[in-house]
This record gives sequence, C-alpha cells and structure tokens, in this order.
Amino acid sequence: MKRKISLPQGCVIFLLLYAVLAVGVYYIGGEQFWYSPNQTVQGTSGSTSTVGEIGKDTLLEQTFVPTVSEIQSVSLVFASPGKQNPGEAVLQLLDPSCGKVLAEKKAALSGLANNAATGIAFDQPVRVEQGKLLVFKLTVPAAQSGRSISVWYDDKQTFPGGGSWYLNGELKQGVLCFSYTGRTPLSFGRNYAKIMSGLGLLLALYCINLVWRQKKGRKSQGLNLINAFTRYRFLLHQLVARDFKTKYKRSVLGVFWSFLNPLLAMLVQYVIFSTIFRSNIANFPVYLLIGIVFFNFFTEATNMGIASIVGNAPLITKVYIPKYIFPVSRVLSSAINLLISLIPLLLVMVITGTAFRPSLLLLPFPIVCTILFCIGMCFLLSAAMVFFRDTQFLWSVVSMLWMYATPLFYPESILPQKYMFIFKINPMYHFIRFARAIIISGTSPEPKAYLFCIIASVVPLLIGGIVFKKNQNKFILNL
Amino acid sequence: MMIKAEHVSMKFKITHDRIQSMKEFIVAKLKGTLRYEEFWALKDVSFEISKGEVMGIIGRNGAGKSTLLKVISGILRPTEGTVSVGGNIVPMLELGAGFDGDLSGRENIFLNGSILGYSEEFLRNKYEEIVRFSELGKFIEMPIRNYSSGMMMRLAFSIATVVEPEVLIVDEILSVGDEAFQKKSKERMLQLMGGGTTVLFVSHSIQQIEDMCDSVLWLDHGQTKMTGDPETVCKAYKRFMDQ
Repeated sequence: MKRKISLPQGCVIFLLLYAVLAVGVYYIGGEQFWYSPNQTVQGTSGSTSTVGEIGKDTLLEQTFVPTVSEIQSVSLVFASPGKQNPGEAVLQLLDPSCGKVLAEKKAALSGLANNAATGIAFDQPVRVEQGKLLVFKLTVPAAQSGRSISVWYDDKQTFPGGGSWYLNGELKQGVLCFSYTGRTPLSFGRNYAKIMSGLGLLLALYCINLVWRQKKGRKSQGLNLINAFTRYRFLLHQLVARDFKTKYKRSVLGVFWSFLNPLLAMLVQYVIFSTIFRSNIANFPVYLLIGIVFFNFFTEATNMGIASIVGNAPLITKVYIPKYIFPVSRVLSSAINLLISLIPLLLVMVITGTAFRPSLLLLPFPIVCTILFCIGMCFLLSAAMVFFRDTQFLWSVVSMLWMYATPLFYPESILPQKYMFIFKINPMYHFIRFARAIIISGTSPEPKAYLFCIIASVVPLLIGGIVFKKNQNKFILNL
Repeated sequence: MMIKAEHVSMKFKITHDRIQSMKEFIVAKLKGTLRYEEFWALKDVSFEISKGEVMGIIGRNGAGKSTLLKVISGILRPTEGTVSVGGNIVPMLELGAGFDGDLSGRENIFLNGSILGYSEEFLRNKYEEIVRFSELGKFIEMPIRNYSSGMMMRLAFSIATVVEPEVLIVDEILSVGDEAFQKKSKERMLQLMGGGTTVLFVSHSIQQIEDMCDSVLWLDHGQTKMTGDPETVCKAYKRFMDQ
C-alpha cells in the first residue's frame, strides 16, 4: 500500500530536494563555476630563427595585451643545443605603466626542452588587467658564454591583439614563439549562494501560496498540474508499461535489444568513422556512444510520439482521457529505453578506461532536459499530424537532416567558427555537449551550458504545450 | 442537480473532399475550392437530471443521441452551451477501450481499468471479482489475441461493470457472450442502473425505456422534439414512427 503524500509534505520534500541538489551541484561544479575555461593565446605557431645566444646582459622582452584576467603560465620555444646548461632563466611579468613586477619565476636552463615549447607555470595565478598592455621579460643573469640558451621567433607574424618584441630594448620585427595561458573569474561562482537561495526563496513562497490556495479551495495553474498528475499517474504508468511490454513481446532477446541496439550502432559507426574520417577526438568510442544514445532517444521518442494522437483515435473518440497523456506516455516509454541504453555506455566507459568522476552525478540533468524537449516536440508533431497526415513523412526527412547537423560522429571543430550558430540553435547539441563534458572531460561545463540546456528544453516544451492546448479540442473532429 | 445541460449545440464542419495532407490543403486553398459545409448534430438541447434519476433518450438513427452522450462524457466539447456533471462519470459507450492483443488478460484489466479512470487500489480490490464474473479462469494469464471474440467481450464487460459510478452513461444495454452470459450481463446492467445511480440511457427498445426510465428525452435532427414522463413521450414517439 502506497502512502499518500499531502501537498504540504510534498512541498517540504521538494524544497529539501532542491537544497540538496543546489549544494551538491555546487561541489560537483567546482572550479568551473568560478572561472571560465582555460584559454591559451599563442603568438605564432611557426618559427623562422632564434634570437641568438642569450648572454648575461641580454634582455628579451615581449609585450602583449592579455585577454584573460589571471595568467597561470607562459611558454616559450627555447633552443638549447643539446647541452646541460648551468644557471637559470628569470621570467617576469611587468606592468609597463608603473614598471612593477607582477610575477617572477626562475627556471633551470637544464630543464628546458630543445626546439619545443616549454610551459612554465607561475607559483600563483597572476592577476592582470584585461586589455591592458603587459611586458614579459626574460633574462639569464648567470649565463656563461657558449653554454646558454636561445629563443625562437617568427618574423612573419604579429601577436594577436597587439604587441611586439624587443632585444635589449630594440624593437624587432615579428613575434617571439611565446604563449600564455590563463582564465577569467566568473561572477557566477561568487554569487552562487545568492542566486540559488534567491531561487529557493521564490520556490518556497510559491509552495506556501499553493498550500494556502488549496486550503482556501482556490484554483491555480500549479495546483491543477499537481492534481492532474496524481489523478492520471496510474493511467500514465499503465500506458508506459503497455508500450514497453509490447515493444519486445515477440522477440527472442526481448529487453536486451534496448542495449544491443545502441551498442551495435556504435560498433558500426566506430569502425567506419575511426578508419575513414580519422578524426582525432579523444576517447572516440565514448564520444560516439553518448551522441548515439541521446540522439536515438530523440528519434525514437519523436517517431513514436508523432502518431500518438492519431494512433489512439479509437480511445480518444470513445473515452474521455486528457489528450496530452498520449505524447507524454510515448516519450516516457522511450525514456526507459534511454536509461537501459546507458548500461552499454557504462560498459564502454569501463572498457576504454574512462575515469568515473563525481561529475557523472550530473548526468540526470541533460537526460531530464532531453526528455522535456522531446515532450515539447511530440506535442507539436502529434498535433500537426492530426491535421496533416503527411507530417510523418516530412518528419522522417527532417529528423535525418537533424541527425547529420548534430555533431554525433564528427568533432564540433568541423564547422568554421562563423557557422557555429548552426550548432547553437540545435537543442540536441547542447544536451549532448553537456553529457560529453561530464562524462569525457570529467568536469562540469561552464554555467552558461546549464542555462542553454534549460532554455533549449523549456522553451520548446512551452511552445509545444501551448500549441497542443489550443488545438486539442479540434482533434476529435479530424480523427 | 447531477447533470445539467444548457443550450447545448454541436456543429461539425464537413469538407467535401476530406483533406488530410498539407499538399492537398495548400492546393485547395489556392484554388479556392476549400469549402466547408456546416452540420448541426445538436441544436439548443437543454435538460436536467437530478440524483438517482434514470433518463432515457430516444430518437431515430442520426438524431444526435450518441453525440449527446459524448458531449456529456466530455469526449466532445460543445460548440455552444454548457454541460455540468456533479460526480464521477462512467461512460459505457464502448467495451474494451485500449485492449492490447499482446498483453495478457490480467494486464489488460489494469490497462483498460486505468483508461476508464479506475484507481489502482480499486482495481486490486476488485480484480478477483472481475475474473470471477468473466468466467475466464486460467485463460486470464494468456495474451488476449488468443481469446475468442466472446471471451474478449466477457472480459471487457466485466471490467466495465465492476464500478459503482455516480453517473452512468449507457449506449444500448449491453448483453454479450453466449446465452447464459447474456442473461447474467443483462442482470448486471439492470442491477447497476437500478442501484440509485444517475443514469443516462440510450435505447431503441421502447419497452426498455418505458420500464426503466423516470423521464424521456426525444431527439430529432439534433433538436429536442419532446421531453417528459416515459408514458406520454413513448406514446407520441410510437405514433410518430408508425406514420
């Protein structure tokens, strides 16, 4: 016997859950909430010649305008022709307006690579002002003649954003083979507690409002929604169970297909794309499988959902049932398939040695977003299908196009920067990108990614819901 | 007042050639051949039924009886007018709605029951009763695609009539199965309708209407032709039909 939960109890549980989630996400999110992703700005990728041996009086300078506000490390391409050089190089970052040394780091010459970029990290991230000219200085105070190093430069490039290099104070043409890596703090992390508690407060106020309205017997949208849910939960459950039971009823392997399907699809595409495309995506099997699992769900849910109203016409014309139940139940039965197909994903993660990090706990977020998005799409499609039966054929073409427009088996970098908007307007891209970030990179994506996922799921859901609601009374006349 | 219908009208739009694809729609729209014909299935029908009353609806085929039942059940929304029903409503318009051939009889009891709006608790309590009444025995665990049509109807009837609704809507008294079961099911129906529930009842059998109803509504071409006590209305109806 199930215990009945009253509205106030439900509200308390909901708010507690919210608090736990808010705190949990904060700890999983970690640094990603405080800083933008690390950014490396490189002066040049080529090199033409060296600046000559750096003696004890040589002063090498490179000016640049930083695009980040904390510099963690710099790198240079040194030339130290096969010798164990004594002494150490002194690297400094200066503010040219007041001549103040912002940071200094010493690096032993013997530890520098020959003709390859050597990154040197400062002890602490260096606070700099974004967009204000900085000077990087390199000296080797204890250099011995013939046993010192040199630095490569490229006379055909200039530093992106402006800057030039000087040898002993003399302006030279081109740019040193120099790069810096840094990040910019985000206000989100600092304000996280404020934002989330503010939101929590709003939710709490809304809950109080709901309870109050229930006591007074007044109506509200939220209350209607909760009532409808509790009232039709059993029906929803039965419909989902029916879809699921009948799907594999007469197949030998039954439910196994739910996870064999994505696994086989991944294998085929893996073989094809790892040999033909030769894309250098890190952890390609997992990258591919995440895309396949999410997109398969989308295709399955929409292809099933599109006929959910027309297919249930005998029911709709004979019994009163809220019509939104049909698209919703279809999407939910596909969602069960999605959950099952996560098993092969875990399997492939184990096989490829992908680390299981706490960020995996965020996986429900992109899944829920995708489900909401699919429900919205099914509202739209199933409503259109009632009036125009060829929506189905149109959709099979559109969904195929959609699949190729989503980076499932190719890297995002395949599109030039100026066409990135094609990805950005695609909700599925955001969900898949989110899932890949937390599974493959093992870190939470930047706060903006959360926002994009929420927008990409809630907006289609609202639009679909409104269109569906406006037209649902006309359905029966066209069935 | 259990059921109250005020000035209920139902309009259907009939296109001459049923347009179901975007191409046809656009072509017809451009050619200007997109014409609708209006058809009023119900026109300004009003009535009231108080608690425990049994009301019969009579009329010829196509008079709008089934449309009226669908409007009261909430399946159709009236074009004009309002309907209010004060209680849980069980429409018995079709048996076995949503039956799935691949599922067993047991699974279908829960599926069909949930579609009819029964709660999970109710179905669990009444499960034995449904199985007993349907006389299906051990067949209940078999996929119903293997059932004979009689078995299927017996199961559907047993699920539909297990309720004690406040408002019952019946489109012809259902009697299904072989002779023995027909007798049993008819008894069940009469018992349901006599048990103090409010009933809205469509039948072509004037005898049944006269026997069971407290009041009668006579529909003709979507309009109320006559309403009142069974004796007078039925007499007038018979005279009208004999002409």
